[in-house]
Amino acid sequence: MKKIVQPGALARGFRLGKLGLILTGSYLGYQAQNLLLGEEERAEREQRFQQKASRRVRQELQSLKGAAMKIGQIFSLQTHALSEEAIKELATLQMHAPAMHPSLARAQFKSSLGKYPDEVFREFDPEPFAAASLGQVHRAITRSGEKVAVKIQYPAIRASIENDFKLLRSATFPGRLTGHTPTAVFEEVQRGFLEETDYIHEGKNLDFFGGALRNFTYLTIPRVHWDLTTDRVLTMSFVEGLTMSEFLKTKPSQSIRDAIGSHLVELYYFQLHKLKTVHADHHPGNYLFQPDGRIGLVDFGCVKRITFNATDLINCVVARSWRESEKGARQVLGLILGQNVPYRRARKMLPLLDEMAEILHPERDDSVVNFGDAKMLEALGRAMGVTVRDKLANPEFAFISRADLGLYSLSHQLRAHVNCKQIWRSVLDM
Amino acid sequence: MKKISRPKPAKRPKREENKESTRQAILRAALALFADKGFYTTTTKAISRKAKIAEGTLFNYFQTKEDLALYFFEQELSGVSDWYRRDKRTQNTPLPEKLFAIIHRFLERLSPYEEFIGAVYLRALQPSSKLSPLSLQSQEHNLRYLRFIREILADAELEEEIPKVGDIGAYAFGIFHLAMITYWLQDRSPGKEQTLALLDRCLKLATHLLKKGGWDW
Repeated sequence: MKKIVQPGALARGFRLGKLGLILTGSYLGYQAQNLLLGEEERAEREQRFQQKASRRVRQELQSLKGAAMKIGQIFSLQTHALSEEAIKELATLQMHAPAMHPSLARAQFKSSLGKYPDEVFREFDPEPFAAASLGQVHRAITRSGEKVAVKIQYPAIRASIENDFKLLRSATFPGRLTGHTPTAVFEEVQRGFLEETDYIHEGKNLDFFGGALRNFTYLTIPRVHWDLTTDRVLTMSFVEGLTMSEFLKTKPSQSIRDAIGSHLVELYYFQLHKLKTVHADHHPGNYLFQPDGRIGLVDFGCVKRITFNATDLINCVVARSWRESEKGARQVLGLILGQNVPYRRARKMLPLLDEMAEILHPERDDSVVNFGDAKMLEALGRAMGVTVRDKLANPEFAFISRADLGLYSLSHQLRAHVNCKQIWRSVLDM
Repeated sequence: MKKISRPKPAKRPKREENKESTRQAILRAALALFADKGFYTTTTKAISRKAKIAEGTLFNYFQTKEDLALYFFEQELSGVSDWYRRDKRTQNTPLPEKLFAIIHRFLERLSPYEEFIGAVYLRALQPSSKLSPLSLQSQEHNLRYLRFIREILADAELEEEIPKVGDIGAYAFGIFHLAMITYWLQDRSPGKEQTLALLDRCLKLATHLLKKGGWDW
């Protein structure tokens, strides 16, 4: 079979190449100017450049549909080529696919399931109500009268992701971004991406979490309709609720916001400690809220099994074990950084750990964390950013940190007061 | 206005109708055999047997299998334009979606006869073939199709969706349509989804280019 060159690949390659050019091009200019500037001015200029460059990175990446965007996110964790500013910008990226008009959505549904939506549903809304990673979601009613959400993937996304990776491996992407990324990381990332394109896999995740979290009565996880699901179409029960921004507009009371914040933290701790598997995509769009504080969790494309011992780490943080003895300090640093980083270098992290511990598990009696405090979020982001950016961290810790930050930023939007320490204890007893 | 009465008005249409239904029956029989046995191995004898007519009668309608193929395309194209004229929803969509729906509809109609169409394509490459785009017969139904597309583009021009493209626009679309059939024929992706993606992207890009008059990067 003759291999057809994808028309998209060429254009995307060109764009990626151009991005490299813009970055390296202006970076050179910046270096040259540096020679002529004073210290203070230099710092200011550096900041300005970084902001401009990171905005440029985001704009370029956002116009590249497909994998390139998530790759932007991953580079922001895996390398220190980009500054904190850039990391902030990149963290806002979402995995977008082009929108499908009703005729295309219908055609793609048929291409995957063999029948048109109106042949298998009682009702099908041709206009999507939400964008999803790699596709879009439509409302429908099954023959038996159940309300469902039908997620349809943009056609040939998988092939286009494979192309993106081929390009990234080639010399087009700027060396500054890829130079530090080992092949193994690349392959891991690619595997993760391709997994995300498979809705069967996501359906299995839904089944798994639906079962494992069934005792949390405040939580709703959609049920998969396997007879109407393929690798590119996912049909699941419809979950009612408002998105974060809609929910906040209803001016929910402090106690409801606190309850939701506590639920979110509880669910997350339970996943880390009991399931050793986390729903890692804390994008606000993946959560739906009801006035009484119930939570709907949708989109299980990005789920990660962890081998990293999060339970030990949180226990150490709660107990401040590093203050007790060198052995204690070695243990906690080993968890975060892996065993390869020499202790002399690793222990420089301890003040940061103190800072993080004081924020999340304060030693004060009431030990309630006010997530509404912007300074807190900033300090957490900074502390984690330093660890991850210095490429010291164990990759799983880096991944978990990203998920953590997502959760904290959700709680911040809720302005929730949460007693993390108490919740952690109760999860340990479950 | 008073109609002028013609001599024997009833008989002719009746005969035409009969002829048309025989033609349809032959086509149905041929298509079933093509799908089953393939275009090349199906004989005219087999077709006439399946259509329950004498082989001689078959030749009165279609002299060669190529004539059958031409008739088939003509039917499918007019099927698509009939569908479009009935489908109010599609008529009210933006141009890229309209054109997408038209080509997709056409490909859907062709999909049971993929092997047959592949064979016809190969034949059409010979300049002496009636199926060649240069032959008069195929030009005739091409024109009908081009006029149909021209109408749709003219509407989009009026709505200022695109600048004036004139007849060239319809010709360009005709060529694009042929190219898409070729791509579709060799598309081995699951559910031929590569064709859907290519079709969607090309049409959006083309409309975008026409609107902006250039690629804005």
